[in-house]
Parts: sequence; C-alpha cells; structure tokens
Amino acid sequence: MASMFSLPTAVVLTSIVSQFPCREQQIRSLATLLAITGAPSRNIVLYGLEATGKSAITKAILQGLSAEPDKSLVNGDSDVPHDQLRYAVIKSAECITGRHLLEQAVGAVAKAVNWEGNGGRCENVAQLVVELGRMLEGWRALDDGATNRRIVLVFDGIDHQREAPPTLLPSLARLGEIIPNLTILYIITAPRPNFLHLTGVPHIHFPSYTKPELLQIISSTPPTPQLPGGAKETQETWSRFTSAVYDSLSKHSGRDILSFRSISLRLWPRFIKPILDGQLSSTPFSRLLVANRSLFQNETVLIPGIISEPPLAKSGAVVQGGNESKGKYQGIATQLPYYSRLLLVASYLASFNPPRLDILHFMKSASSKRRKKGGGTALSRSSNTKRRSISRKLLGPQAFVLERMLAIFHCIKEDADSRGRYRNANGNGNANERKRENGSADIQMAIATLASLRLLVKMGAQNAGDAMDGACRYRVAVGWEVVRGVARSVGVEAEDYLAD
Amino acid sequence: MSDVEETNSHTGFDAIDHQPAYIYTPSGTNDDALERPTKRRKVARGRPSVLQPHESINSLVFEPLLGGLETVECVRERQDLFQKCWSETDARIQSILNEANEDTLAEVTAFVDGSGDINQEGDERVPASFIVTGPNIASQDLLFKQLSARLKKEINGPIVTLRSGDASNLKAVLKQLIRDATNQRSEDEELSLEQDGRKLLNYDLEILQGYVKNHGSQRVVVAFQDSEAFDTNLVVDLVTLFSSWMDRIPFTLLFGIATSVELFQERLPRAASRCLYGVRFDVEQTSSILERIFQSAVANSKASLRLGSELVASLMERQHDHVQSVQSFIVALKYAYMCHFYGNALSILTDASTSPQSLLKLIQPCHLEAIRMLPSFRKLIEWLVKSQQLDRARELLQDDTILVQEIEGALESKDGNILRLLRAFHMFASALSEPPSGIDLYMAIFEGALSNSDHLKRVLDSIKRMTPDDLVVFTKRIKGAIENGSYELDLEGWADEDDDLIGELRDVEIKAVGLSENSSDTEKPIRSSDAIHSKGLRTTVIAQRVQLSYEKSTITEAEKEFIGLIDHVSKLLEQYFTVENPKDLFLNELWLCDSADSFLDVFAPRPRAAIENALSAPHEYLTCDVGGSEEGLSSTYPTTAIVYQSYLEAGSLINMADLWTTFHEILSGNEGDEGDEREALMRFYRALADLKLVGMVKQSKKKADHLAKVAWKGL
Repeated sequence: MASMFSLPTAVVLTSIVSQFPCREQQIRSLATLLAITGAPSRNIVLYGLEATGKSAITKAILQGLSAEPDKSLVNGDSDVPHDQLRYAVIKSAECITGRHLLEQAVGAVAKAVNWEGNGGRCENVAQLVVELGRMLEGWRALDDGATNRRIVLVFDGIDHQREAPPTLLPSLARLGEIIPNLTILYIITAPRPNFLHLTGVPHIHFPSYTKPELLQIISSTPPTPQLPGGAKETQETWSRFTSAVYDSLSKHSGRDILSFRSISLRLWPRFIKPILDGQLSSTPFSRLLVANRSLFQNETVLIPGIISEPPLAKSGAVVQGGNESKGKYQGIATQLPYYSRLLLVASYLASFNPPRLDILHFMKSASSKRRKKGGGTALSRSSNTKRRSISRKLLGPQAFVLERMLAIFHCIKEDADSRGRYRNANGNGNANERKRENGSADIQMAIATLASLRLLVKMGAQNAGDAMDGACRYRVAVGWEVVRGVARSVGVEAEDYLAD
Repeated sequence: MSDVEETNSHTGFDAIDHQPAYIYTPSGTNDDALERPTKRRKVARGRPSVLQPHESINSLVFEPLLGGLETVECVRERQDLFQKCWSETDARIQSILNEANEDTLAEVTAFVDGSGDINQEGDERVPASFIVTGPNIASQDLLFKQLSARLKKEINGPIVTLRSGDASNLKAVLKQLIRDATNQRSEDEELSLEQDGRKLLNYDLEILQGYVKNHGSQRVVVAFQDSEAFDTNLVVDLVTLFSSWMDRIPFTLLFGIATSVELFQERLPRAASRCLYGVRFDVEQTSSILERIFQSAVANSKASLRLGSELVASLMERQHDHVQSVQSFIVALKYAYMCHFYGNALSILTDASTSPQSLLKLIQPCHLEAIRMLPSFRKLIEWLVKSQQLDRARELLQDDTILVQEIEGALESKDGNILRLLRAFHMFASALSEPPSGIDLYMAIFEGALSNSDHLKRVLDSIKRMTPDDLVVFTKRIKGAIENGSYELDLEGWADEDDDLIGELRDVEIKAVGLSENSSDTEKPIRSSDAIHSKGLRTTVIAQRVQLSYEKSTITEAEKEFIGLIDHVSKLLEQYFTVENPKDLFLNELWLCDSADSFLDVFAPRPRAAIENALSAPHEYLTCDVGGSEEGLSSTYPTTAIVYQSYLEAGSLINMADLWTTFHEILSGNEGDEGDEREALMRFYRALADLKLVGMVKQSKKKADHLAKVAWKGL
C-alpha cells in the first residue's frame, strides 16, 4: 500500500525548476497543492503582477503531473493503482461574456476527459455544475485502472473577465463542494480580501523578480547577433550590458521580465555595432558604454512602437527620432482643409480658456487691449493667481458647448491672415465672400468630420442628441504642440488668445 | 463609384420618417411588391439598390425647354447626349480611380502575404498595416473595397472589413467578423457552429478557427476602415483578443488612418500597442489624384464639356478650404454635365462627333432666338459694329439663314479653337522641369490670361538665364511635347500642323548646339544676357580689405548670337502662348460651363443661415399678409418669427412668463382688442415648439420656468 502522502517525483519538479529559475518555492508549493497524493485543495489562488510566470509555471506543473502515471507504469507493475490527473485551462482574455467563459469551461473539460456526447447549453453556473457533474461521472465510470482521479480547472486572469456576473467567483469556489475531486485554480493579478467568500483558500504569491533574478533569467537568453569573439565573450558582454540597461532604463519604467528582455534585445544590435565595425573591442566595457551612452539616455525605446523598425538600425537613429516628432504634427496641419484647421484651433481655445475670459480675448471692443497676452487687467490677474495657480494647460481639456466654439471660430477667422487659403495662394482674393461661411453646411460637415476623426470628442452618451446640436458638448483631443502647428499654418498665433 | 455611394448613404433615410402620418397605398400587383424586402446586410455589393430609379433609356426624363417650344427630338437628343458624354467621362474617371491606389494595393498585398516573416515564432504581436489615407474619409470606402477585392484574389483566407458604424460593442463586432469571414465562400455548405457535439456561441472565435483549419487559410485579414471613429476601448479589446488567438488563427490587421499613425498610437493604451506590430503605408494624396482626374476629365481633348475658370476656381477653393475629396469633385463635375444638358437648350449642338450639318437640321427658330440672346453673340455683334461691319451685324440679327451659316462656321472652328488651347496647355506644362499645377495653368488659359500671367513671366525669365545646353534641353522638351502629344489629355502629336514652330525651334537648337560646342572648344563659357548683368559685381579681398569693382562685361560674338537666339525663342513662345480668351469665342456657351453661383448654392448650402434669416426677416420670403418690409415686429408676422425676435433679445436664460407677456402684447397690441387669449396661447405654444424643433431652445436645468438659449444668430 502506497503511503497516503507523497510529494510528486523529484524528476518532474527539478526539470520545471530549472526551466523557471528563481521560482522554486512557488513551484514546490503549487505542486504539493495540486498533486493527488499531496495535499490537494479545492481552490487555489495564484496572484502576482504581470510577467511573473504564473500561467507558464502552472501549465508546466500540470503537464508534468498529468504525465506522471505513464512513467510509473514503465518501471512499476501495472496493477498498482495509479492516479490520473487531468486539467483544463480557460483564458478569460478570450472569453467575451461570462456565459462564454462557462461554455469554454465545459468545452475544455469535455476535451480533457475525452467526453463524447453532446452537451447542452451552459448559461449559468448551475448548469455548469450539472454539465461538469455529468462529464466527471462518466469519466469516473471509465474502467482504466485508475483509482484516484482529479481534474484541475485553471481560470487564467479571471479577475479581468468581461461581463462577469457578480456571483461568478463565489459560486465557482463552491463547485468543489458539489463535485468531488475538482480543483479550481484562479490566476489573478491582485486578490481582493475574501473575494471568493470562502475561508482557508491557499494563496500563492508570485512576487516580481528582483534585479539579480532578472539578470539571472535574462542571461539564459542568447542575444543575436553574436560577437566575433565567440560565445564566451558574447555572454560576458551581454550580462554586463543587461545590467546597464536595467540600471538606466528598466529600473524606472519596465521592470517586468518581458519588457526588460525586449528592450535589451532591441538595443543589443545598436550597442555592439562599434564592435562589429571594428572600432572598439569588448574588453574595456566602460569605453563601450561611453560610446553608446546616447542609447541609455533615449527613452523612446520604452514606448512600444507599433511601426516596425527598419531591419538594422541606422547610425543616426537618435537624430531621426527628433525629426519624426516634428514631422508628425505638420502632417495633419497640411492635410486638413483650411476651415477644419481653424475649427480645430477654435476648439482648442474653447477647451482651454475659461468661458468668463472669452470677453477679454474675443470681444471687439474699442480698447486696443484686445490682443493682450495673458488674461485680464492687472487687477484681475492678481486675483487670478491667488485663486488658482495650476496652469490651465495642465488641467487638461474642458468640455465646451458647440455654440461657443463657433463664436470663437468666427472671431479668429477674421484675424487669420489666410495664409493657407487657396484664394490667397492664387492671388485673387475676394472680400465679398466673407459671409459665405456663416451657418454653412460645409462648416458643420467639417465639425462632424473632426468629431469622427476623434480630434474632437463628444461628451456624454454617444447617441444622445445630434452632433450638430448647439448645446452638444465637445472636448478637444489634440495637444498644444499639434494645435500650435496647425494654428501657424493658417496664420493664427494661438498663444495670443490663450489665458495664461 | 460616387453615385453608388450617394444612394448607399441614403439607404437608412426615409422621407416617411419625418411625416406625422402617411397613407398606405398598395402599389398594385407588381412583381416588386411581392418580393420580400431585401435584408440590408446581406445585399451583395454592386447589385442595383432598390432606391435607384429604374430608368429606361427610352423614356424621357428631361423637360422641354424654351418655354415648351422645344421639340421632343431635341429633348431626346439632349438626354442621349448627356448619357453618352457623362458615361464616357465617368469611365475615364473610374479608370483613374482604379489605377490611383495601385501602388498601395500592391504594397499592402505584399505585406499581408509575407507578414509571417516579420513575426518570429511564438510572437504574439499581431501584424498590422497602417494605411494613412489622409483626412478624406470618403475615399476610404473605395480604397478598402479595392483592397478587399485584391486580397481576395491573391490571399488564401477570409477578408473582413469593419466600419465604425456597425461596430457597437465587442460581441456585435465578433459576430459580424465571424459571419463575414465564414460567408465568403458561398459555394461551401453552411459552416457548422458545433464542435465536439457542443454548440458554439455565435461570437466564439473557435468557429473562425475551425473555418481556418478546414480551408487551410493562410491569413485572416481584418480591416478597420475608419479606425479613428472606432471606440478606443473596442479596438483595444479586439487587438488583445486577436493577439491572444494568434497561435491558432493567423490574423493580420489593416487600419485605415485618417490623421497620422502617431496620433493613433497615442490614443492606444500600451497594453494594445504592445500587441501590434506593423508597417505604415501612404496612399496617394488627394490633390495628386484630383490633378489626374482633372486632366483626364476636364482638360482632356475628348471631354465634350469644359469647365470655365471661374467655376474651376470655386470648385478648387471648396476643395482646399472645406472638403478634400475626390468624390465631391466628381459629383460636382457630374452636376455640371447635368446642368448643361438639362438646362441649356443649345446643348444639342455640343456633340463633337456629329457633323455640324446634321446638327443644324435640328435647329428651330426658337433656338436661333436663344442664340441671339447669348452673351457671346452680343460680343460678336459688338465686335462687328466696332470694326464697322454694320451690314453683317444687321444680317446676323435679322436673317436666320445668315445666322445659321455663322453658327456652322463657329461649330466647325470650335474644335480647332479648343485644340489650340489644349496644345498650349500641354506644351507649357511639359516645357518646364517644374511645371505649375495643371489646374492653375488650365485656369489661366481658360481665362485667356496666360499671355500676361505670372506663369509665362516665370518661363520667360528662366529662359533668359539659360546656358546654351539648357536651351537645347528646353527646345527638345517643347519639340517632344509637340511631336508626341499627351497621353493623359488624349492629345496626338501635332508636328505636321505646327511646321513653322518646329522648324524655328530646330534652327535654334542647331545653333545652340553649335555655340555650346564652340564654347567647350575655346573653354569660354557663354553667358546669357541676364547672367552677364548679375555677374557684373566683383569682390576681391586684398590685404584683408574688401574691394568691390564693377567688371566691364565684354560681350563676345558668340554671346551676342546666343542672346539673339534667346530673344527669338522668347518671342516665339510669347506668340504661341497668346491664346484667345475662350469666353470671347462665339458660341462658347455650347462647350464651356461657367456659372459658379449655382454650384455654391447646390454644394455649399447654408441651412442654418437660411433658417435664421427666414425667422428674422420673414417678409423676404412671404409676400402675403406680412405687412410690408418694415423693420421690427408686427403682429402680422408668423408667430414663430415674433417669438424668435424676443428670443434674440433675451439672454442665455429666457423667462417663459416674460416671453409670453411680450408675445401676447404684440399680438393684441396691433389688433387693438384683447383678442382671444386661449388662441394666443395656442399660437405661442406652437411657435415655441417650432423653435424647439429647430434646436434653438431647450429646457433649462438651472431654473424651472426658464428656457435655455441654445443657438445664437449669425454663427
């Protein structure tokens, strides 16, 4: 008679431990809690931040445990009762609704236990219980010599499940009370206290990797291309390089292993370019570091680019980055039609100017102070600064009423020196045309186009009210840089109209 | 394409929507009526829409003009001419539109085909191509239609185009995606929604996975046509979902981006942008497509109707200032054709292919009368009077047969005149290495203002600065233009017709070649007259002091000869480019359409200004019982106008009681008696309801008995 308690075989565990360095403790605890002869538990919670190896380790352990009986068959006699463990993984990221999750669970379990029969719909947890019970019953009835059977359901990322019913988690936690031999494993980011409404659920924490751990893990990733000096030199340089990358870039913004690895791999070819070119050698590492210091100061690599880089980075990549940012805003400035540009500028002004200062900026009063920079007279300014010291630019765009923006538009339209206009470019201006824009359908169309390009964002419910309704509230969705470029392209100096 | 779009855009709109009641009239026992109404989503592309009128060529849709005097033959002739001319033009435009995106299509197809190469194994990032179309949203539809047609041909796998309009939430998008993807092979049996005996939900991507597995698809292409208009959260959800499925379904995404990739990326959270990886493609800019369409549809030698400079200017202004859209230009062009053939009785004479004699048979006395009303006829008479040919003028005015002869002559010379203009256009455009925009040039020529335009001045100035070698290149270019003609404009070479010019140019070229050979022999460069003047100032630095001295430029014999040559060429060109103003030609109204005002009224309406104006000055619209055109209020105005006046005078919050008092006073004040208060109240309510309908007032949340003013006048 085999003992009631035995840990999973060391062969399996050591291979997993070597596969996932720095996670030995978690692996051992989880294996104990999962193994049939160990301390099987009905519910297990794994939690930890992104990229800490939760899903991968779970999968590896379950694979190892479910494959174990075959090995014992090889070296032992066949009539020793063996255990059978099956598992099913359900990724919440792929489930669109709570019901979808349940259907997926049924499907995955059916596949895991080779259930052949048609299952019914599974609309709520009660039906899930019935379905699962039927399948497991059928599985247990199979006579293949297994005595102990256990099925493990893994809900990966269930805390981010879309449209989950509020009772989903507590009811899932109680599944084990109804269905025997069922383990449910929840992989989540950060558990709320008592979120399963059940006490005594073992939690296993997967902490974020520390620096030495990160460096140890990443040293197992071979960089490409290799240095001409061979594998040893490459490995040495790689480890010192990754350490430098961590200290300069990843420490502050990308601590998880995935982004650290991707940054290191992206920077590597540029970093060793001097070596490949034969300008420097790898031995005085500090010299290499100094030669490449711009790489570690440039933070653009931290932002994941959606545009693929050219295969091998050019030497002037850093300089290029500067040009790009200038070019991108000129792009829309030249592409939008003239009046759309003016409307965009007017929207920005309406969003960032408080309505009470509109009179100061836009009234055509007799005083010549109209174009004054900054808000208000000396008197009002002093009271201004007392009340609010945060610049309005930093407060973000405020919603404005469409009608107010139109008023501002008509005001700045007259001040615009029509630099970007067609008529002006061809030298046949006509003062008679001025009134044509008032209430024109073209202007309204331009506003609608800006809104559908999401340069203006409609506030409130998407379908509430007409887009052209005067009381409809909008917010501008472009920043100061863009607007300044756009304004200059039509000859408006937006700063003149902007309160402080 | 444009007209299909037009009808499609109205499919959701029904005039009945805005009627309070309607009378059901069964439309007889037509076959159409028995048919079930077509489901909107399953309508196949390219099938004629239900709304499109079933027009048969034989029935007359045009009205007889000239006060009904026009005969049926003429009306039919106009209609047929319109069909013929527009279909020719339209075909040319369509071919250009189809070509226009060719490069982008090829690049995108190559990307989709090889997008497995970018991603390494196990990479969960979704390959994506970002197609920057520019802010012209209307053109995206065409581009994506072309793209999906192209991809369907070359890629093995489903192609699904998603639009922001039909994407309300994740479930709906996935349903549509799966349905569209699995419906694409119509010959297949209905795909089973079951797997392992289990029925799948209709938004489960496993269905798609099964489809991909069954058909061995290489790629599943999902195109976001107007990606900016999508809800950002939806895009994020979709992208992360696709990335999660990447190991089972080979997704490739296409994004149509109207602003810029950077703005698009700024909007995406990092979680989504980490899952995307791709290449940016730029579509040919609207302006350059427009230029090509213009060349082939308006400036083309085969175009039957030409737009005048004023009209082109206003169209271009609208393109530049308001909407940049090829489609709107095509629509405007079609409108010009329609106006011309529908509203101009003389358009029967437009046809270039039939001989003038056969056309003249159609002419009736009323046509002749109409011709005598034309501005160009008046100009002709004025010119005759000025040049003392009074008899001729009188004959033209009185004698129909003489007029007919004159018309015949004008018709015969018409083609020649247009050809002359177009040749000048082409020659000018091809003579320069950096020609001005074709549209500007066209406008200058059709204004008759080329000879003293800036364009010509610039050319002549540049000639003066040329070296002999440059001059040779320049004359060669002009000769090439004359001999080869132009493909875009459908101009054939006209070397045999312009013998003199060719000959002169050849002489100049030979001489210039000789001069440049001589100069290279003697190693003394030949300077042109301009160059001599500009190099006259000399700067010498002697002992750290700058000395300026004027070089006495001596002109060698060769240089003198060269200057002579250049003067000769300038004169030739000036002469050639002095073309007649097409508007001065007799009967230019037959082939030149130039009325900008009606265009702006049609294509740039001002609904808001019109409503405001109608409310504030109803006497401009209503002749009866309004009581003159005096300023201010009167009780005879429509009640809505009265309320609107007080509305304008009020602040942003309007007290209802005040408004009612004012209204009641105005109504009863003029009538003298108290009037019926209930009646007045009823009218007041109706007026307010009207204002609310127009969207000028709404219930205020700040004060219970107040209205909030929503619209200010004149914005």
